Amino acid sequence: MKTFRMFRFVFCLVVLGFAASAGPLAAQNLEEKVHARTLKNGMAVLLVERHGAPVFSTIYGFKVGSVDEVPGITGTAHLFEHMAFKGTPRIGTTDFAKEKPIMDEIDRVGREWSLELVKGDRADKDKLARLRADLSKLEAEQQKYIVKDEIDVIYSNVGGTGLNAGTGTDQTMYIISLPSNQLELFCLVESERIRNTVLREFYTERSVIQEERKQTTEASPARLLSEMFMGAAFIAHPYNHSVVGWASDINSVTLEEAQAFKSKYYTPNNCVLAIAGDIDPEKAWPLIEKYFGDIPRGEDPPVLRTVEPKQLGERRVRYEFDAEPQLMIGYHKPNFPAKDDAAASVLASILSSGRTSRLYKDLVQDKQLALNVFAGAGSPGARYPNLFTFNASPRFPHTVDEVEKAILDHVEKVKNEPVSERELQKVKNSLEAQYIRSMSSNMGLAMTLCRYQLLFGDWKLYLKYKDTLAAITAQDVMNFAKTTLTAENRTVAQLIKKAKTS
Amino acid sequence: MTKRKSVRILALGLVGASLALAAAAQKHPRDLGPAPELKFKMTKPAMFTLSNGIQCFFMEDKELPLISLEGLFKGGSLYEPAGKSGLAALAGQVLRSGGTKTLTGDQINEELEFIAASIESYSGRRYMTVSGDSLKKDFDRLVTLYADIIMNPEFRQDKIDLARNQTLESMRRRWDQPMQVAGMLFNEKVYGPGSPFGRRATPASIQALTREDLIAFHNANYAPNNFYLGICGDLTMAEAKAALEKAFGKWPKKKVTLPEVASPVETADGTIYHAAKDTPQGNVYMGHLGIPQNSPDQFKVELMNEIMGGGSFTARLMKELRSNRGLTYGIYGGVGEGSGKHRGVFQIGSQLKAAKFVEAVETVKGIIKDMQANPVTDEEISTSKNSLINSFVFRFEDKGQILSQYMSLKLDGYPENYLETYIDNIRKVTKADIQDAARKYMDPAKMILVVVGDDKLFDKPLSTLGKVVPVDLKALQEAEKAK
Repeated sequence: MKTFRMFRFVFCLVVLGFAASAGPLAAQNLEEKVHARTLKNGMAVLLVERHGAPVFSTIYGFKVGSVDEVPGITGTAHLFEHMAFKGTPRIGTTDFAKEKPIMDEIDRVGREWSLELVKGDRADKDKLARLRADLSKLEAEQQKYIVKDEIDVIYSNVGGTGLNAGTGTDQTMYIISLPSNQLELFCLVESERIRNTVLREFYTERSVIQEERKQTTEASPARLLSEMFMGAAFIAHPYNHSVVGWASDINSVTLEEAQAFKSKYYTPNNCVLAIAGDIDPEKAWPLIEKYFGDIPRGEDPPVLRTVEPKQLGERRVRYEFDAEPQLMIGYHKPNFPAKDDAAASVLASILSSGRTSRLYKDLVQDKQLALNVFAGAGSPGARYPNLFTFNASPRFPHTVDEVEKAILDHVEKVKNEPVSERELQKVKNSLEAQYIRSMSSNMGLAMTLCRYQLLFGDWKLYLKYKDTLAAITAQDVMNFAKTTLTAENRTVAQLIKKAKTS
Repeated sequence: MTKRKSVRILALGLVGASLALAAAAQKHPRDLGPAPELKFKMTKPAMFTLSNGIQCFFMEDKELPLISLEGLFKGGSLYEPAGKSGLAALAGQVLRSGGTKTLTGDQINEELEFIAASIESYSGRRYMTVSGDSLKKDFDRLVTLYADIIMNPEFRQDKIDLARNQTLESMRRRWDQPMQVAGMLFNEKVYGPGSPFGRRATPASIQALTREDLIAFHNANYAPNNFYLGICGDLTMAEAKAALEKAFGKWPKKKVTLPEVASPVETADGTIYHAAKDTPQGNVYMGHLGIPQNSPDQFKVELMNEIMGGGSFTARLMKELRSNRGLTYGIYGGVGEGSGKHRGVFQIGSQLKAAKFVEAVETVKGIIKDMQANPVTDEEISTSKNSLINSFVFRFEDKGQILSQYMSLKLDGYPENYLETYIDNIRKVTKADIQDAARKYMDPAKMILVVVGDDKLFDKPLSTLGKVVPVDLKALQEAEKAK
């Protein structure tokens, strides 16, 4: 009955959940159910009561993701997320006072080793070997004090499930679900982690992430294509690199750099906590105040200055790989809460949501050019202007060029003819149902509320966005298509099956 | 100067105070004291039978205005006649897409999507599933369409062609991801290609299927007396009964016989199957046959799996291969249950660092041998028991989940009180039981290995692990294309 999970992962695409055109009743219900507070240190907390089974789900996130990284330290937000499971001065050790000096030494040797390693072919091999040996000796010394993966052990013992975390372009989120009698334990463990993560076993974990990159990106045709596509679509803005980061950076980032990155962004004033399930807010608030309330407020995180310049002409990527062909197309567009973002969401739905959508009906069902085709309105993130995208897999013997042309024909059509009222109504009906379904799971609900509060500053925007979406007209969709889906604003990436090698 | 100094002292004072406060709240979780008692009552679906023998399972859920249906028919790919591999899957797909006697598939799509409802159908090894859900206000229409699809499918030729072409394209793409290739080959090798558990549909077998095959498949398997139907959501049991009786009541019974399926035979002999592929890691599955469903040793095995290769970082494989050595992003495995009386598979799978591949596999074998040679530690058995017992409540988190869990336990022949006795059964398991289970159900010398990767990147030749048999991926792909 068990399913196996991959732990501590990268959110590959953050597609911002549609909010909804819900009936007034449902919206009001949620407004009554959510208890929101901001602690004195700036940490926002959302509690939702759902008294079904005696369990609750929690998610807390920091507004930091790969978009906050600069060249040289790509992948650090994700790397730090892994390190956040290694414990604190109290958890994960038998004697922190003895462990600390060894860690300082590991930090020093590890930095020297990493800086040599990054030289690649020009590195001094003897020096590398000597430093690696020193590092291993120190790591063995530290192991005497380490209590392995103690956070996992603590939560396992009380029946916690789904302990995990994910890093995206925009945010880093930590999740766990617990039986409802474990709220204080949750507050204690997580406030410990936020206060003071100890970066134990840093260089081993760096090696895990090298394998993660190979497994999830380098061996995956779709992810590799996406990495190259984003790199072409964004020439300046940091949405241009993948969340897992470049191999060279993963191989050379130091413990000190990871620590510095953490202190900048892991502050209560850059954090939102959401808990949904069988909790009593009257009893929960004092616990939350007690454990999280006195975490010292930090500086405001730095402001990202780089703005992606206007695209002046089509960009194309084409590469060969040992896999069947795939295609990505993208156009720069404004992000939430711009009206064009809402129009884009509606259009994406009309184009590819379900078997009655335009692209499915035409490309998959009738002409049978493609195995699948998807349109999306929120890649690769939502905090900054993003992309309207198409992903498709041609069906043999049809080629990526044929599929590309067929998609572009549909793009031209939406520029010239208004979408039908029935199509618009179908999107609205589906958003309403989606809104109701979003309240059917503790974790789903906590995640949605946390994301709106974290990325846009107010969970209620989840409710308000429905008005924006409900008001989108056929003319709005056409305007969006005309201004945005232009040839000079387009990036295309094609994966071609590698010609036979011996 | 003085002023500044006093400000600084004040600031220090504040920092000191906040540290003291922090220290008061922050402590090790073991010093937290016992948690309040957890009050929890198990809930079960109600059952009723329709006039024509359909067995129904009902769970009321008034929280949101939603209703869902989950129907299961016994049957599936295990029972496919030789030469008709892929029939169950194709029939399951076209049952839904091909429309009914009175409505085309496109008309059904249009109607369902306009009201944000869905009906989906697919076939697995032993069951065909048809699920549906809608808002409460649209339930009458949902259940009408749902019943029409199940009772009167038309299997229109255009949708058969579409599903066939889509399946063929998916087959072309099943060679794209190295770990998926390893899984596919492992399944074939561990059961043997002649076994209904080990064979896979091929483009040739898909191309040979006809509309008559699909209609015959439907006639043979979809019958009220072979139907188990769950219904969950915002309605009363009386309403559920009335709606289902109205939709399905006139469907006549008919005889359904599933052919006997030959049980898998153990052939694992330690062979290493190596499929060369230019990819950065060593992708591996290793193992041999496992245990049947509902085995008397199931709880011993469950705890053994949890300690050796379960989903948590507390498991030995994850702790050693990932956390201690950094050789992989993830490694999981255990002795698995099969289908009914048929044995499942013991398997461990991982994508391993190529430059330490052989070392990593030897480490895995060492972990298995240690599970056999020595009892697990007190901490391991207590953590894994606590985890299974205290997380038991999550099996009842969601009403729909309670319903489908109950249905699958029932259909798979588990005892009526399986859930009621689960916690006691886990409590009873001893360290000696776990060691016995490790000895009885795992044999590292017999395990076959399927390796997909570039052995030039490996630390040592694969032959240091045993007898290597090459698998030519290009030839396999070409052979599929040729037909």
